[in-house]
Amino acid sequence: MKKFKFSNTTRVNDLRKMIGEPFLLLAILVVLYLLIVFVIFPIFQVFKTSLSYEGALSLQNYFDVLSRSYYITPLINSMVLGVIVGTIGTIVGFMFAYAITRTPMKGKGVFRMIATFPMVSPPFVVALACILLFGRSGFFAGAIGNIYGLTGLVIVEVIAYSPTAFLALVGVLHAIDPALEEAAMDCGASRLKIFRTIIFPLATPGLVSAWLLVFIQSLADFGNPMILSGDFAVLSVQAYLQITGMFDLARGSTLAILLLIPTVVAFYLQKYLLSKKSYVTVTGKPTSATIKNLEWYIKAPVYAVCMFFAAVVLLFYGMVVWGSFQKLWGVDSTLTLRNYVQMWKMGKGYIVDSLVISVIVTPITGVLSMFIAYLTTRKQFPGRNFIEFSSMLTFAVPGTVVGIGYILAFNTPSILMPFTLTGTGFIIMILLVFRNLPVGIRNGVAAIQQIDPSIEEASIDLGADSSLTFRKITLPMITPAFFSGLANCFVRSMTAISAIIFVVSGKWNLITVAVLGFVDNSQYAQAAAMSLLLIAIVLIALGLIKLFTDRMGRGMNSSSILE
Amino acid sequence: MKKLFTVLAIVLVVVAPLVAQASGETAGKKSYETLQMYTALDTEEAQYYLDVFEKSTGIKVEYVRMSSGEVLARIEAEQSNPQASVWFGGSNTDHINAKSKDLLTPYKPNTDFELAPMLHADDYSWNGFYTGAIGFVSNTDFLKKNNLQPPTSWADLLNPVYKGQIEMAYPYTSGTAYTTLATIIQMKGLEGALDWWQLFDKNIHQYTKSGTACIARAGLGECAVGIAFSHDIMAKGIAMGYPLVISFPEEGTGYEVGAVSMVRGAKQIPEAKIFMDWCFTEEAQNLFIKYSRLPVNPKAIVAEGAIKLTDINLIDYDAVKMGLAKDEFVTAWRDRIGK
Repeated sequence: MKKFKFSNTTRVNDLRKMIGEPFLLLAILVVLYLLIVFVIFPIFQVFKTSLSYEGALSLQNYFDVLSRSYYITPLINSMVLGVIVGTIGTIVGFMFAYAITRTPMKGKGVFRMIATFPMVSPPFVVALACILLFGRSGFFAGAIGNIYGLTGLVIVEVIAYSPTAFLALVGVLHAIDPALEEAAMDCGASRLKIFRTIIFPLATPGLVSAWLLVFIQSLADFGNPMILSGDFAVLSVQAYLQITGMFDLARGSTLAILLLIPTVVAFYLQKYLLSKKSYVTVTGKPTSATIKNLEWYIKAPVYAVCMFFAAVVLLFYGMVVWGSFQKLWGVDSTLTLRNYVQMWKMGKGYIVDSLVISVIVTPITGVLSMFIAYLTTRKQFPGRNFIEFSSMLTFAVPGTVVGIGYILAFNTPSILMPFTLTGTGFIIMILLVFRNLPVGIRNGVAAIQQIDPSIEEASIDLGADSSLTFRKITLPMITPAFFSGLANCFVRSMTAISAIIFVVSGKWNLITVAVLGFVDNSQYAQAAAMSLLLIAIVLIALGLIKLFTDRMGRGMNSSSILE
Repeated sequence: MKKLFTVLAIVLVVVAPLVAQASGETAGKKSYETLQMYTALDTEEAQYYLDVFEKSTGIKVEYVRMSSGEVLARIEAEQSNPQASVWFGGSNTDHINAKSKDLLTPYKPNTDFELAPMLHADDYSWNGFYTGAIGFVSNTDFLKKNNLQPPTSWADLLNPVYKGQIEMAYPYTSGTAYTTLATIIQMKGLEGALDWWQLFDKNIHQYTKSGTACIARAGLGECAVGIAFSHDIMAKGIAMGYPLVISFPEEGTGYEVGAVSMVRGAKQIPEAKIFMDWCFTEEAQNLFIKYSRLPVNPKAIVAEGAIKLTDINLIDYDAVKMGLAKDEFVTAWRDRIGK
């Protein structure tokens, strides 16, 4: 099965194959409809807004924006920050993933938990902890220079986003058969050579996609720069401020569209790079291998990075825990439970709403993302590129813009969506599904790309249809990625903020909105208390998911936060 | 896989509209509908007022808390089908802007006193229910260490001792900061104000998004001086126990009027009117003591320690003019300061 070849005959064949499988065809149509309505339509609304100037269609907003240094500088800053965070984040994530899958490091469970901890907390908590640790009157005042700007943002975003890279890479490394390495070693290759010629090339799709994920997250990040950017203005914040501060939807949308461009470029670059090689390692042939002891010069740097990162994470979150019990964070460190009492009084309703919504959203996202990952990597059909591209879009657009786009698109009935969605809990759920989808899809794609298509082809040759093959062959092999996706999605649903603020309503309010309220009001201790409660809920939920999956006897030990 | 698709299809195509419809059909049988509201006040404070309102009128309120700018952006995006009926709180500058975009419905609240002209729009599109003045908040430790008195004039802020030590919000993100900019413009004219600001900018450590953020940051020692509204400085700084002191510029300062308004196309009009009437009652206005806001009802009690507008030198602040010129002034400011 040759991919990325689009001669006319293969197109016709693709079509013929699909007509033979009406359920697959129907499913593709449903997915197409969903993506058009819930991804393209809102972003189209934003795009339309960016092209309207004094009521007419015009590029004036773009000229205005690109002729002003205070819009161009943030664009450049965002790129610089994204590249730095993407690179460091991927390296840290890879070190952790390598340590977990390839070394006999002690206390892997603990390390894994620490490494993924930042994912289960609202992002701005890390920024707050950073101020209290390294700010002008912080614990280690001046230890790393001025934290308001690039330095501070890099530190905070690496902590916040390298777990994403870690999760993506654990799955990938896990799927690389250690037998390959053993074989190479038996042939006399050095560790370094094995790393360079086997592990690294095989992990490339994972590495690139991890880098891309972190890069995009950094571009779209908004909670951290809001608190820490100082004079280092970034585009996501500028787009937000343009809309909420200047009440200028048109230029805010323009900035958002500009933010989309690098993301799209990065996306296609990645696709181009990966299209040339095969990364298949799961071939259906029997394997057996064990982790061998490693040379010190490999272990030392890997362990050092892991220890250091773990220590930093513990330090930051230790600060949050300690802060949540303080009478007045930063000034009066008398210990008290007052913050928790107050938090509970204010936040009960929010907690329940958040839980209900996340529980509904998670399985839908999980199934949909795996299915799309499967379609885009394994099936040839017209519109495949469109599905692949559009399903990544919501991830790249700043939350504020997605939120505004959702209001513009779903505030009144239209041909595409005959019901008004604003004001209902439903709009929140849909937004979360489509905003979390890309992470699940990336995980799924990375996992599926490593499975030899000939296994599936064999199944089809033996008479099974697509559906049976997917269920019996593909699904079991991507189960780890699926559950990792579930866990990921649940966490992201519970901690989402920037898009959500525009679609929450009096009936459906979310816990992160309450946290942001505390932060806006400078009630850091209450914000910390509420964040910790949020973290506790997420950890309990992850525990339950793990219990459930263990019961199912999948024996999973994979790319997930579940361990 | 067939099952999977069927389930997916059923969930997304059939249940979705039902849920959407069902949630639109709730309420209606009670004598009062639930009032849908956006508030720019902090959750805790809003809840404190609304608890009393619900108890005394029997009208239930559901609200979302957002910054003033977020409320305006959202009301504008939702104008074809408004989701909230009342916008409660936030500087009148933002309400004036909303009025100029035709997003509000005029309503003159029933009050047992005369609402001063500065406290409402000509057509009562918005009505001011509290006031507060722009002031300086300084960290007492910093002042002691540098042997300084708290700043008492705009000129004091240019003192090089404050280099990289002053914080306030971006004038385009925060009503507080815009009021500050507008105050300077009103006192010095646009060009004079920008000239002054270029010097002042050298002392700025960073601009924040939220107008009140600088208070706690001054309290934490992250900066020495912040510029904010007096009631916020009292309630979020001094009353919380931060080592802070408040002062005012003697050559004059601007002030804000906190407003409440009814959204155009409001769905719970009777309830919204009852709420707006209630905002001006003695009962409601007395509640402001807890958050150091200055009541507009003359019968209401003023919080002890709260700064009365009569105690300080106020300029003749033209909120309407400044509200309408916001785009122009802010663009001029950004072109000159470059932030």
